[in-house]
Amino acid sequence: MMMCEDCGIRPAKFHLMTIINGDRVERNLCPGCMARHQKQIPGFDFSNLAGILNSILEDSKAAEQEGQEAELEGYVCDQCGMTYLEFQKCGMLGCANCYQAFKTPLTALLQRVHGNTQHAGRIPGGVHNGTSIRMNIDRLKQKLQKAVADEEYEQAARLRDAIRALILQLDRKDTDIKVRPQERLNAEDEGEMNEHV
Amino acid sequence: MYEYVLAPEQDVVISSRVRLSRNYEDLPFSPKLTPEYAEEVIERTADAVFKTENGAAFTLLRMGELEEDARSRLVEHHLISYDLLKFVNRSAAMVSSAGTVTVMLNEEDHVRFQGLLPGLQLERSAEMALKLDEALSERYPFAFDPQLGFLTACPANTGTGLRASVILHLPAISGGGQMGAVMQTIAKLGLTIRGLYGEGSEAQGNLYQLSNQATLGRSEEDVIRALSAASSQIVEHERGMREEIEKRDMLQLQDRLMRSWGELMYARLMTTKEFMRRYSDIRYAASMGYLHAPLPGLDSLMMDVQPGSLGVRAGKLISPRESEILRAKTLREELQKLVAE
Repeated sequence: MMMCEDCGIRPAKFHLMTIINGDRVERNLCPGCMARHQKQIPGFDFSNLAGILNSILEDSKAAEQEGQEAELEGYVCDQCGMTYLEFQKCGMLGCANCYQAFKTPLTALLQRVHGNTQHAGRIPGGVHNGTSIRMNIDRLKQKLQKAVADEEYEQAARLRDAIRALILQLDRKDTDIKVRPQERLNAEDEGEMNEHV
Repeated sequence: MYEYVLAPEQDVVISSRVRLSRNYEDLPFSPKLTPEYAEEVIERTADAVFKTENGAAFTLLRMGELEEDARSRLVEHHLISYDLLKFVNRSAAMVSSAGTVTVMLNEEDHVRFQGLLPGLQLERSAEMALKLDEALSERYPFAFDPQLGFLTACPANTGTGLRASVILHLPAISGGGQMGAVMQTIAKLGLTIRGLYGEGSEAQGNLYQLSNQATLGRSEEDVIRALSAASSQIVEHERGMREEIEKRDMLQLQDRLMRSWGELMYARLMTTKEFMRRYSDIRYAASMGYLHAPLPGLDSLMMDVQPGSLGVRAGKLISPRESEILRAKTLREELQKLVAE
């Protein structure tokens, strides 16, 4: 399923083509974002057209969606009470615990939006806190071993990258400047992290 | 000798901005945020920010307590996002005296740190935002998961929570009909470019915003580096095209651009839309050395004559026509000063 190129959350149902200064710009959008775009295009009222198209699309997908919705209805966050269907409508989660409560569908969504499900950036207070980086590395190494044993090589490659990123953070923990692209680039080029994996 | 200080690549890059999204782990997120919790977010953050090293430089502005023009002015100067005004009843912003660091409160996420600098300076902008993030996270824990990174209200920001963007002035690429090609190349890099004043609408003033899309699976450094590299390439492309156009017929280019200077110096009524077109021309002319006006001055004047900022200048609610009159008058006076300097 193609996702909306604007919000990245809802499925794309429209193909919007606009000509800006003679340049053609094409985007795949969900009904919500499509509606927002229509408001910005002067001199043409799409609202009816969109409504008609929308209802046709909704009809043809109704059966399929019913099955999906029944499945997703089961997801409720016990902390804030948000349901997955509610989340799909507003696009925002209710609390930190929603990430656990909606883990299965949300992981799939994150994969579609970001092409990844493993954080590779900083951790809170990470620069001063080597211990928690080490804990993360150990945990990821265990996962990596399991992935290799299960012959899940794509997952293994992702874990390896995440471990590398964390090791780099650990190496840098004494420095004050956080953004040092060049340093990171060199470390990767030398491939010095291979021994850790 | 005519000299003024330019930020890196300022002939093409207007500004660089980095935003970091964070949420307190023990408070409900935006859709479930009650007024009491929203107040808790403001009190906690304000307390922590004021206690940082440069805390005294920040002012806390509650959106509900500001006039509409004053709020718009903050958006026009890129100090806050337009989205912050969706939650006027609960949202606030802490703005540093230099205007380079802002903390937005109760927007889509509890806290959004922003670093903003002129020209192409993404690394430094990121550093400013990350430094504040770190100082605050020592006092109150932010929602974080070892696998997913920082947890945000919208999953589109999960991970680093980092959105970096640059505002580019691309009159030659845009006028040469090459924006489509640039957009396609950019999309392949996992970045996105759009007209600054809203998607789908025309890019007023030939201003475009280039930003990252994904926030999960790439480090902050990677994202900043990719965006800086893409920006530099676009800058080179734009410069190349400007030179080419100049080489083809310099007099014609000068004539076209400097006519806008004439309009701005003598017009008595000026709409925002017309102004943005003229501004693009004179900024282009100044970057080519045809017009001796400092680019930083032109850019801040551009923000100062947007509707909200003009209202603040007038000190009262003004009609669209009064706004056009005041814009034309302000431009005549301020541009005169800029070239005299």
